Amino acid sequence: MDDVAKNIIEILKKHMKEPRDDISLDTELTELEIESLDLAMIVFDIEDTFGIEIPYNANEEVEDFKTVGSVVDRVSALVSGGNDQTSSGAAA
Amino acid sequence: MTNSNGFKRVVVTGTGVVTSLGSSVDQFWDGLKSGACGIDQIAGFDTQDLYITIAGECSDFEPRERLSSKLLLLADRYSQFAGAAAAEAIEQSGLEVPFVDSDRAASIVGSGAGGLNTLEKAYYDLFALKKKATHPLTLLRTIGSSACAHIGIEYGIKGPTFGTVSACATASHAIGLVFDMIRRGSIDLGVAGASEAVVNYGSMRAWQAMRVLSPEGCFPFSKTRNGTVLAEGAGILVMEELEYARARGAKILAEVKGFGMTSDAADMVNPDVEGPSKAMKFALDAAELIPGDINYLNAHGTATTVNDANETDAIKRVFGDAAGSLAISSTKSMHGHLLGAGGGVEAVACIKAMEDNFAPATIGYAEPDPDCDLDYVPNAGREMEINYTMSNSFAFGGLNAVLVFGRPPE
Repeated sequence: MDDVAKNIIEILKKHMKEPRDDISLDTELTELEIESLDLAMIVFDIEDTFGIEIPYNANEEVEDFKTVGSVVDRVSALVSGGNDQTSSGAAA
Repeated sequence: MTNSNGFKRVVVTGTGVVTSLGSSVDQFWDGLKSGACGIDQIAGFDTQDLYITIAGECSDFEPRERLSSKLLLLADRYSQFAGAAAAEAIEQSGLEVPFVDSDRAASIVGSGAGGLNTLEKAYYDLFALKKKATHPLTLLRTIGSSACAHIGIEYGIKGPTFGTVSACATASHAIGLVFDMIRRGSIDLGVAGASEAVVNYGSMRAWQAMRVLSPEGCFPFSKTRNGTVLAEGAGILVMEELEYARARGAKILAEVKGFGMTSDAADMVNPDVEGPSKAMKFALDAAELIPGDINYLNAHGTATTVNDANETDAIKRVFGDAAGSLAISSTKSMHGHLLGAGGGVEAVACIKAMEDNFAPATIGYAEPDPDCDLDYVPNAGREMEINYTMSNSFAFGGLNAVLVFGRPPE
């Protein structure tokens, strides 16, 4: 697991009432009992940590926020320079 | 004259608005009837790096058109909106100014946020420009009670004067409080409603961070809805005790029949079915009406995924079989979400709907949603007999306020 993944899992754990140690890339966010406002705060923390912007919209089902791995992929892509906000999931 | 429950009757004799559809009730109602949309790209400030760049701005608002007092011309934009809407409402009411029975009059005009434009500028001056001082009026402009105080000063209102604060239910709470005070006999008349001016960079940033705004538009109850759209403006009513209004020969526009308020006491953002249902039920009970009496319901209808489905469930719970024949629309699709001021302009929409026998549409309705399966008057308004209307306001924090209006008493 790379640093981006480790960092994101730490952020997720910080926002969980009872942090778990068994979170893997395959873990679905719904399993972590993360609600809409939690997700807004998690996305904020991720943006702040990595210096990126993710136009996530709580009103939409976004594939990027399905599993821990999909979040990691999205963030990795943004960190490596593909920060094309107009093509991000939430705005679509 | 009192109701069968011993309470005095309360009527509306003046209405005033400032909205993205225009800064008068006539322009507002013309816009609603024709299905116009006041939501557009933000022009009032540089949207810089925002990815939400639309709002319902009051771009044609000219403070000097209705405001003459120097105090109000120096006030925050939110107070100017309130002052202009109050001026329109009071002019329509024909009340003598300053009010004669000043101790028996109220000014209950709230705001969800108060003078945020002023605060933003002051903080920018201090933190970014490192200025040594803020403008001397910063505090007076910012406080959430400046609108009600300004209106009180303008019209000589010396009775209950304060602002309500309940996010998106602010105006409905204000109208409901004045309704209650008049019907219990503690005052004879009042100016009630709310004002909001939060379309600025800092506030858009805060809303964008909550991830509930749509980048495209406000599409309530449609399967395609993807968030709400912020707007600014004000909505104000002049309300009087029925005999007080009759004695001075006032033209009566509508009767305020009922008011219900509850709190979910559950979650800051996710609404509950029970709180909104009970608020609607309490408003009907206060009005001594049954669900089938209501012809048109101006929904809270924010166009967030969660609100619209939840509100639909709550309406079904209260209205039962009558829900199917109820015309429901969210005029936010046209004027945007005025937050605290929403219930004020939506109360005016309800009153005009009865006057004109016309249910305004929910525009931008593209696709039915199985979770929202009632009649939302999609895309085109409808001529129909409207004798009683209901206005729903459900706020963050689970704060619910519902008003019921009827035609002017015979």
